[in-house]
Amino acid sequence: MPIEILGQAGAADVEDALRQAIREAIPDGEIEVSSGGPGHFQIRVVSPVFQGQSRVKQQQRVYGAIAHLMSGSNAPVHAIDRLECVTP
Amino acid sequence: MTLQDATRQRIAELISNHRVMLFMKGDRQAPQCGFSARVIGILESYTSEYETLDVLSDPDIREGIKTYSSWPTIPQLYVDGEFVGGCDIITELNANGELFTTLGVEPPPEVIPAIEISDEAAEGLRHATAQNGGPDQHLHLAIDKNFQSSLSMAPRGPMDVVVESNGITLMLDRFSAARADGVRIEIVDSPRGRGFRVVNPNSSILNKMSVQELQRLRASGKPFELIDVRTPSEYETARIDGARLLDESHFQHLSSLPRDTRLVFICHHGPRGVNAAEQFLGMGFRDVHNVTGGIHAWSLEIDSSVPQY
Repeated sequence: MPIEILGQAGAADVEDALRQAIREAIPDGEIEVSSGGPGHFQIRVVSPVFQGQSRVKQQQRVYGAIAHLMSGSNAPVHAIDRLECVTP
Repeated sequence: MTLQDATRQRIAELISNHRVMLFMKGDRQAPQCGFSARVIGILESYTSEYETLDVLSDPDIREGIKTYSSWPTIPQLYVDGEFVGGCDIITELNANGELFTTLGVEPPPEVIPAIEISDEAAEGLRHATAQNGGPDQHLHLAIDKNFQSSLSMAPRGPMDVVVESNGITLMLDRFSAARADGVRIEIVDSPRGRGFRVVNPNSSILNKMSVQELQRLRASGKPFELIDVRTPSEYETARIDGARLLDESHFQHLSSLPRDTRLVFICHHGPRGVNAAEQFLGMGFRDVHNVTGGIHAWSLEIDSSVPQY
């Protein structure tokens, strides 16, 4: 199924772009990104910057970093199905 | 990504003008996505005092709000000008009881409802929970403001009310508990197969009361609450003795009353009273009435000394 193979390759590229964008915003973060269907991703970030912050503030840090990948009608990222922000 | 000043300002005005402001898809009557619908369902349990904006009809806000809050999804809830979160966070705050504090709403008093479970249903529930159980998974019964019931497995919430019946432990959130007294859970066979049925005697409907009936009720000396849902200036213009304006403090007082208290709502002509009355039905009150024709009919048919306006 060629379409699926293309989809897989695209997802890997987007995963890299997500990782890079988060690393720029949270350099000391331990970042895991995985794909869960076209345009859907799961992200887990472990970093001391989350210390003492509310869950919203933690997630805003990550969402703020990847906003450019999620905006517009042709955005490579359609949804983050799961976003975990963890303090080590 | 830049956010135009005009859009930023509109968003800032919306969240400062409305204490509880929800950016969503669709509106509260007709949410256009499942996440927005879920948030409306939760919010409606707590309050009807909130404003919504439909981002589907406002593309500038639809994109702008995401930049404004560094949050990529709709719906988005703001309280007192602060971003609270999206659907997941609101669901979580609802489950852990924190949404009361966030919204500044008093939790309903803890009432332990009497719930009956038939032997057959108890057996079925034991089976279902054994299959879906886990460390912090408990059987929950939820009853929404329209008295639609659902059973699910979920972690125990700190505000949950715990009911033991026929060997089964059931947990209910405070709102559901207030609507659950006298509920019976049984097993039925339907065209879709065997399943649980929740029979709820509280799913009462709104009663209509004529001005003549209201007059008789007043004369009878029986206890009831007469609640005026008009604006303070209308109340100044014309009022019925004994009617109290439904302001914030009176709302809090009424919410704490026993659910069998008789509540009679009155407005100018009728419709506003229906809205308020339905809200109290949703809170579990069972003896709820709305005066047909409102204070206008009272003035015409009962007491002409009450001014018409």
